[in-house]
Amino acid sequence: MNPGGLGTDLLQVALRRALLRGGDFAEIFVEDRDTLGMRLDDGRIDQVTGGRELGFGVRLCDGERTYYAHSDEVGEAALFAAADAVATAAAARPHTEVTDLGPVRSSPGLHPVQIPPETVGVERKAALLHVGNEESRALSDLVVQCTVTYGETRQRILIVNSLGEAVRDDRTRLRYVVSVVARRDGIIQTGFEALGQSAGFEIVDERAAANVARTAAQKAVTMLDAKPTPAGAMPVVLANGFGGVLFHEACGHGLEADAVSKGASIYAGKLGTKVAAPIVTAYDDGGLPNGWGSAAYDDEGVPTQRTLVIDKGRLTGYLYDRLRARHDGVRPTGNGRRQSFRHIPIPRMTTTYIAGGSSTPVEVIEATDHGFYAASLAGGQVEPASGAFVFGVAEGYLIEHGRLTTPLRGATLIGSGIDVLQRIDMIADDLDVKSGICGKDGQGVPVGSGQATLRVSEMTVGGTA
Amino acid sequence: MTPVHGASSSSGGAEVPSLQKTVERLLEMAAGRHVTGAEVYGERSLSRRIKVYQGGVEQLTEARRTGVGLRVLSNGSMGYAYSSDTGADALEQLVDRAVAHASVTQPDEHSVLPQPQLGAVTDLVLFSENLGRVSQAQKIDMAVRCERAALDYDPRVKLVEDTIYVDEDAEVVVASTTGIRGAYRVNHSYLFLYVLAEQDGGVETGVAYDVGRDPALLDPVACGREAAERACRLLGARPCPSFKGTVVLEPFTAASVIGVLGSALTADAVQKGRSLFASQEGQAVASELLDLADDGIHPEGLASAPFDGEGVPCRRTPIISGGTLQGFLYDTYTAHRAGRASTGNGGRGSYQSAPSVRPTNMVLGGRTAPVADIIAGIERGVLVTDVVGVHSGANPVSGEFSVGISGVLIDSGRLGRPLREVTLAGDIPGMLRGVVALGDDARWVPSGSVLTPSVVIEGMSVAGS
Repeated sequence: MNPGGLGTDLLQVALRRALLRGGDFAEIFVEDRDTLGMRLDDGRIDQVTGGRELGFGVRLCDGERTYYAHSDEVGEAALFAAADAVATAAAARPHTEVTDLGPVRSSPGLHPVQIPPETVGVERKAALLHVGNEESRALSDLVVQCTVTYGETRQRILIVNSLGEAVRDDRTRLRYVVSVVARRDGIIQTGFEALGQSAGFEIVDERAAANVARTAAQKAVTMLDAKPTPAGAMPVVLANGFGGVLFHEACGHGLEADAVSKGASIYAGKLGTKVAAPIVTAYDDGGLPNGWGSAAYDDEGVPTQRTLVIDKGRLTGYLYDRLRARHDGVRPTGNGRRQSFRHIPIPRMTTTYIAGGSSTPVEVIEATDHGFYAASLAGGQVEPASGAFVFGVAEGYLIEHGRLTTPLRGATLIGSGIDVLQRIDMIADDLDVKSGICGKDGQGVPVGSGQATLRVSEMTVGGTA
Repeated sequence: MTPVHGASSSSGGAEVPSLQKTVERLLEMAAGRHVTGAEVYGERSLSRRIKVYQGGVEQLTEARRTGVGLRVLSNGSMGYAYSSDTGADALEQLVDRAVAHASVTQPDEHSVLPQPQLGAVTDLVLFSENLGRVSQAQKIDMAVRCERAALDYDPRVKLVEDTIYVDEDAEVVVASTTGIRGAYRVNHSYLFLYVLAEQDGGVETGVAYDVGRDPALLDPVACGREAAERACRLLGARPCPSFKGTVVLEPFTAASVIGVLGSALTADAVQKGRSLFASQEGQAVASELLDLADDGIHPEGLASAPFDGEGVPCRRTPIISGGTLQGFLYDTYTAHRAGRASTGNGGRGSYQSAPSVRPTNMVLGGRTAPVADIIAGIERGVLVTDVVGVHSGANPVSGEFSVGISGVLIDSGRLGRPLREVTLAGDIPGMLRGVVALGDDARWVPSGSVLTPSVVIEGMSVAGS
């Protein structure tokens, strides 16, 4: 059954009505979403909220123009009202044929869900929040605050368009996050760890929850011993996992086709040229099995794929939605994403990562006589057009004679995406991907970002010592 | 309270039951469970956003939003859930969810539902029937004329990047087991544009708004000319040497500073130790000239309503009078915690969120003087026309801020050359005490819904080249 009970025949009529006066592409996106969010703060579960949203959006494209009508009243009348609203906006032109809708395609099982979260009682989820709180506090008396959140969504969508395509997708996502504050003698440090996948409740048993909590607490406690960071240019080793946020922010956004076509990207016009060191190969993979940023199809019904964006240092591709792909005369790459039926799809990353290399993480550190090791990054600021960035380091260490020594606080990493890519000189074999929410044009979507442990031969480390 | 208009004009068709009926039905279902209390918030709205570019529509969005949110109080715990689907089964599920959410939430003695109160304003006119009489074509034409007026104002106006017309028609219903019953209908419309002017390779920007309930009363030509004038007067801007002097914050820029103040003046921020005004009630926190109020029943305010998201009557709450801090803004929860009465500031972003303390319309006033006279009396200073980075550059906890500004130099009582790449630094308490005059040019700024005149502050550090 289609989300909202809207029949294919009805949707086809609505597509025709949308294209009645003009326009060259029409699409209907129907979404049924269930959400649960729970928070434990200061030892108490103080927020439990959730609900159901059922709605649709009708999009009409007319060259570079876009008309969009969305509604969370679902039914024939609302559907036709929306189709008519976009139709009246279009300039009168010879109309575009609507191809009869083919059978609805779907690809179940690409991101298997073993235990649908909605089949698990809310008490068990509450228990997991307490596990996180107790485990992080048990690690050390220095832990003074702990916040644990649990979130789950199930999103069922149906996309039909005037090309005759019809696609259904059923996405389950689950995320468990622990943030810890540790304090000693007036020094305050924080630690954060998250687990997020397109998967079911099976990913957060008690052991997994406890691991997340202990990791977050250990970061906060370790950093209490941190010394001020010495500033200067030096080799920087970025740890696997969280280090990928730097690639996402400072490079990935520049590969999104809307930035490229607006000329707001340093990667515009550089296809086939060398943008990174020869050992760097990078992908955006919307199909990564059970990935937090994964789905079977994107939000325009295009199958997700693994897109090679950098091949041994050469720029090989951008990330496209339908509109920009048509404009550039290429195939869309399954990167047309939207936050919900209330939003127009735009090019977005899914899971973006720098592929692993041949060294081991230990070898990368041992090969560094003196440098900085960034175990996890905090927030940052990036100038999108140039990729120039400043990132805070949540957990950092000094590397001396090939070993991690003193923990360092207050460090920032300063540079630009393209410089950093060109200075990567070692990559380990421990690729890991972390979950996050990426915001762009007022829309938040789940993304993964990752990398293996890697070394940048020289980067500016901002410090206070 | 205010009578409700028929829902027909904002619903998708005749089969949709009225919002009020849905709310009553849901309340009955919830009250039938073993709960201490229940409250339903229902919302139905229709909004339009038309973006024109170079004389034609570039983007048009029509949004219908309908949904209900339910709070249940059970054994001292509050649970929240929402649904956009208002069918019988969906409402049944919604009640189950809210009850389940309450069951795992820690009891809190301050989680209470408000009692009905006398004294609600009944003669607020928040809806203009003219909204329905202005056609889509007329709205497009207004935006087109607004863009044209900006381009015709001065040959140096090269581009109007965005010209946007927005309107919204919304109906809100609140009902609870404590006897609260309320409903109202509200609308607004506004025009906004963002202009780029260019001279000798230097580009400057200017924005303007026109706001009103009746779209027929918007003045697109005046609005377009104002934005163009604001961009053109900055052409040729360059930095100035650093100095200490007087700044005149125009209403646009004063409003963004007041926006930061608003969040620090909520009881929620005070109780969580995140307000710089905590424990300063009854003390002088600003210049004697200054009055600041949260006015939820101002007839022109975009955020005005007869009652808040919990059904508590909205009112005018003095916050600062003659420079003395009078109090904070409360919803029912924070008021109960503080042993006070709610000020009618239990706001909601939408039916998807439970109430929390939010300012309504912030109104700044006091004794005013003609702006020209004020400028004539300033030896050295800046007329600040634009501020960037208020939200990242101002810390609402410490009150310290450093923001980038553009404006016009004031020298010996005369407006001089335009300035850019200049920063203004200080702290909010010092700034409030430094206010020496208010202009006679008070106007509404829709972003944040602030009514303010120009604010003149002495002893500010202006950092330039």
